[in-house]
Amino acid sequence: MSRPGPRDVVPDDLDAPFWDACLRAEFLVQRCGGCGRAFWPASSCPQHGAASMAWEPASGRGTVHTWTVYHHAYDRDLADEVPYVLAVIELAEGPFFHSDLVGCDPGDVRVGLPVEVVYDTVRPDVVVPRFRPRDAPGEPPTADEGKS
Amino acid sequence: MTEQGRRLGVPPRELRRRALELALADAGVERGRVDGYIGTSSEAFDDVRYLGLAPHFAWTMQAGGATAIWSVLNAIGAILTGQATTVVCVYGAAPTAGVRRPDGRVGGYGGFRYGYPAMYGLIGAAGAHALHARRHMHRYGTTVEHLAAVAVAQRAHAAVRPGTLGYGAPLTPADHQASPLVVDPFRRLDCCRDTDGGVALVVTSTEQARDLPGRHVPILGLGTGHNLRNWWTGEVFDHHDDVATAKVTAFGQAGIDVGDVDVAALYDPFTISPIMQLEAYGFCAPGDGGPLHAAGQTGLGGLIPTNTGGGQLSGYYAAGFTAIVEGVLQMRGDGGATQVPGARIALVSGHGGNGGVQNTWSHATMLLGAA
Repeated sequence: MSRPGPRDVVPDDLDAPFWDACLRAEFLVQRCGGCGRAFWPASSCPQHGAASMAWEPASGRGTVHTWTVYHHAYDRDLADEVPYVLAVIELAEGPFFHSDLVGCDPGDVRVGLPVEVVYDTVRPDVVVPRFRPRDAPGEPPTADEGKS
Repeated sequence: MTEQGRRLGVPPRELRRRALELALADAGVERGRVDGYIGTSSEAFDDVRYLGLAPHFAWTMQAGGATAIWSVLNAIGAILTGQATTVVCVYGAAPTAGVRRPDGRVGGYGGFRYGYPAMYGLIGAAGAHALHARRHMHRYGTTVEHLAAVAVAQRAHAAVRPGTLGYGAPLTPADHQASPLVVDPFRRLDCCRDTDGGVALVVTSTEQARDLPGRHVPILGLGTGHNLRNWWTGEVFDHHDDVATAKVTAFGQAGIDVGDVDVAALYDPFTISPIMQLEAYGFCAPGDGGPLHAAGQTGLGGLIPTNTGGGQLSGYYAAGFTAIVEGVLQMRGDGGATQVPGARIALVSGHGGNGGVQNTWSHATMLLGAA
């Protein structure tokens, strides 16, 4: 199965810095220089507009804000994927990020579950971030585990 | 309104033509009097010629399930600015006809996709609304039994309303639980079904309506809100819509309070929708929408009879027009076996479209008075 890449579903380059950073295994958010609020995807700050927005590195961590499990494949390409977990991640920096959850049994997902980004090379030139539980088996805690 | 059903075998444009004929006859309006046309589908390009109209303007709008009320709002704007005196708002679609679209997918609304989330498998409105449902369950303890109560309550209305998909087929909670899981927590019976059909509304001034033979229904207030407002504050999944803004505008225009509403016709693509809207409009406290349904308070004789025609879940899916039609029927006293006795005010809602990210739906409120 060939998963779509970001430019297959949103054919403009508004978020190109984000997707380019994924090729380097870096997770970015946009931040407003005026008020410090972080945004994703590319936005104009509702207070300060577009001029003060800049991409900057983010933690790639967050928690599950809400979720669902797809039991029905709405696309024939997803027939072999069901059941799969689709979650909205509340990033540590604030914005929401929709992603499927990898390495997560559908029975284990819950609101508040700590998650972290992993980078999935779907094609040689397309890397898509996905999220997994932070206590995923086989993954030792990282050095700053205690911070959150 | 035309016949509503699955696989009617009638093309969308023909459904719109039939809907218009029926609406003009119902209102007692001569075709030549129509001087404004608002279509509610981008495929309506050549409708005006086909319908034999000679209006001052023709445009189409698309804001998903909010389009129906928005079309009325725009018709009023055109009338108030002197562009027209008699505007028709026309809907007609045949999503069950199995027509293959240019992107290769077969018609129907279930495969709707929006932006980056589609890349991860967030496809269709069911998944997007499941995110609201799950959040509501987390915050308030809403259960799948509460969702079942919505499906059962609305089916009970449809079961005694001829012409609906659920006519003659009441449901039990066990039937609901036995239907297959689609997108957790939704089962098939938590979802509305694509329906073919047409609806046309004739909008004119109160003054002109008084001179027409048809039984007109007064519009008391209109309001709009957009859930992107709640995206910025991180609350978008906690709200089905930005009902608060739409409510203030519409109820303010009407000069009434929620307690004055006799019957609610709410946009209901999924069972979570009536629950969240009844809470947001203030018919019950946040979190009490599920128990309200389970207690039978949304049926006839209850606190707020809701979706008395079966709604979209069990009646038929005519985008936002389903709710408007039911509001009009109730205000005319034509609700048949589920007419709310003596109903004087109907709350009608619409919800859909987008304009930002998944779940940033548009909301529209319309308050109708007795005919």
